Amino acid sequence: MTRKKKKRETPDAAMGTAVVMVLYVTDSGPNSIRAIANLEAICEEHLKGNFRLEVIDVLEFPLRALADGIVVTPSLAKVSPLPAAMVVGNLSDKSGVLRALGING
Amino acid sequence: MGSATPMPMPNPTPVGTDTERGFKKAILRLVKGGPERLAIEAGQIDSIIDPASGHAILLPGAQRALIERKVGFRSLIGLAFDWYWEQDERYRFVSYRSATDEAAVFGEMGLIGKALWDLEIDNISDEDWRTHRQQLEWRIAFRELEVRREDGAGEVQYLSMSGEPIFDEHGRFKGYRGVTRDITERKLAQAMRQEPAGLANTMLNALGAAVGVLDQAGTMLASNQAWRALAATDPNIGGSAAEGTNFLEECEDAGVDERVDGVTIAAGVRQVIAGTRTLFQYDYACDSAKGRRWFALRATRVADHTAARVVISREDITERKHTELLLGLEIAVMRSLADAQSASEAIRSVIRIVCEMQGWDYGRYFRIDRSAGVLRYHDSWGIPTAAVNQFLDQSRGLVFSPDAGLNGRVFQSGQPLWVCGGTPDAGLSPMALAPETGRDGAFLFPVTSQDGIAGVLAFSGRNMREPDDRMLQTVHAIGNQLGRSLVRQQAQDALRRSEMRFRDLNELACDWYWEQDSEFRFTQIVGCSPFGAAEFLGMTHWDLPGVILTDAKWADHKSQLDARWSFCDFEFATVDAEGKHAYYSICGQPLYGEAGVFSGYCGTGLDITKRKLAELALRESEARGRA
Repeated sequence: MTRKKKKRETPDAAMGTAVVMVLYVTDSGPNSIRAIANLEAICEEHLKGNFRLEVIDVLEFPLRALADGIVVTPSLAKVSPLPAAMVVGNLSDKSGVLRALGING
Repeated sequence: MGSATPMPMPNPTPVGTDTERGFKKAILRLVKGGPERLAIEAGQIDSIIDPASGHAILLPGAQRALIERKVGFRSLIGLAFDWYWEQDERYRFVSYRSATDEAAVFGEMGLIGKALWDLEIDNISDEDWRTHRQQLEWRIAFRELEVRREDGAGEVQYLSMSGEPIFDEHGRFKGYRGVTRDITERKLAQAMRQEPAGLANTMLNALGAAVGVLDQAGTMLASNQAWRALAATDPNIGGSAAEGTNFLEECEDAGVDERVDGVTIAAGVRQVIAGTRTLFQYDYACDSAKGRRWFALRATRVADHTAARVVISREDITERKHTELLLGLEIAVMRSLADAQSASEAIRSVIRIVCEMQGWDYGRYFRIDRSAGVLRYHDSWGIPTAAVNQFLDQSRGLVFSPDAGLNGRVFQSGQPLWVCGGTPDAGLSPMALAPETGRDGAFLFPVTSQDGIAGVLAFSGRNMREPDDRMLQTVHAIGNQLGRSLVRQQAQDALRRSEMRFRDLNELACDWYWEQDSEFRFTQIVGCSPFGAAEFLGMTHWDLPGVILTDAKWADHKSQLDARWSFCDFEFATVDAEGKHAYYSICGQPLYGEAGVFSGYCGTGLDITKRKLAELALRESEARGRA
């Protein structure tokens, strides 16, 4: 069992405050895999590396998810900048994700 | 975001009724119309976190994906290694498990309770073991340690082992664990690639024919196992040449009996070396302890970028030659029997051919005297030496009753019998056998006809060997052929004698025999005829000079001939140049061909001059008396 953790943060602060996100997934569940792929694409396109992402496998760390108030996976939590937001599902609704992340698509 | 603290692991794949119940309860907890509930309904959720138990409850789609992933992972593991193993703190194997269901090799090593160096591994030196053990003492992971062993059947196996130390939660060393792969195929393939010469040798040794390789001087560079084996058992012409010795010199130094073959082979191989011919093939025979053996030699030129080589191959073709010779013997016997003019000629001819082709000295034929129930000496043939002639002379008059001596035993049993190398058969002393075997061995077999055994053929000679099945088959055929031929010859002899007797009687009754063609022209005149000279052949009777006959009688005779009648006592007279008269009487009968077509006349003639003159004298005397 592994805990997946992914962090990316641009060294150049000129691009503004980095978006900090936590993605809660279930190992290799099909929706979890799709959520990771969708989020990768969105970050690549819209955040240009200016983000920090942590991926939590709830099979490995269920209590962490519970403590963070997660009830289903995959769930994406935007931690900062405020306001915090939450998106559930496989993140195939791109506009919904951008909206939650505070990005003007 | 900080990293999560490791927590006790939940059950990742809950199954059964508890799971279903938990799943339903968790679903019910979700707010109706809430985003989580909507996402579940849209099929975008993998698991639900149960706040009561803290477990992640997998939805069916995620469960299936996880199971498939596990199976795939196991399959990949199977590709990566063949066995997983663990050792205790003293490096003894305590468990092993195969990655697949196959390959019990690792288990066959009997490794449980043993350290790696306790196993029968033959490619690691003591020094290497010390180094390896030092690594283990230092708790260093080791990678791709290659060990070689032979299994019970002598098959070589190569295993690649990798291991890493394991420690308990307090950091205490517990032993090693690792994986092993069977790399036998790869290692053997590598060995083959790296050693083309080794591969060539392996292939050379796999050949059944004896093969040797010569350089341009005729020196033996290499030979295969078959060559060496043949050199040990049959060191014939050049065959004893070992690596480093000169094959050509060995051929030329062959013994007296093999000198011609040896010189011929050396000359042929030299031509191949010189490149004047690409192939030299030669069959030759050698005498050995096992008897006469035949070999087929083949010399082929091969050239690479360095120098030309000659590959010599020798194959034992004794069996094939033996079969060919026996077949040739059967054919030769058959031909001689067809050409024979008499029974005696047939017997002597068969004995001579068998002796010459088998290298035997002499043979005798004993004929069955059915009235007396014994075998009697009948005929013989032998090589022209004094000893053989003497032995055959002594054989004349020999008689064997059934079961007396070797001949009698063959007579009684109807089976072939042989005595080889002067070793007598059981129950017969050498002295008793002397009249039958001479100085050496003997081979006897029956001559058979429709009426059973007609006689026994007995051969003797120095080259007598125990016959094989093919030889027995051949003598059986020869015995049958000779038996049938004798019956036929005896019938022909009887016919010939009968004809002879008839001719003798005929000669008493007539003076000449004549034949005419369909035009009544003489084609043959045999005997003391008044027209014996060849110049009269082709003439008709009435064309012959000096014949005195009235025209009426000629006309009468011609009408008989035209009617194809037989005629008898047709008398005519001749007068010679001195005016002397002679009188003759002829008889004749028409001849017809197979299709019934008239082909002429044949008949006999008799000189009746004396009788006629006596009759004339008597008539004259009677006439004088009446006068």
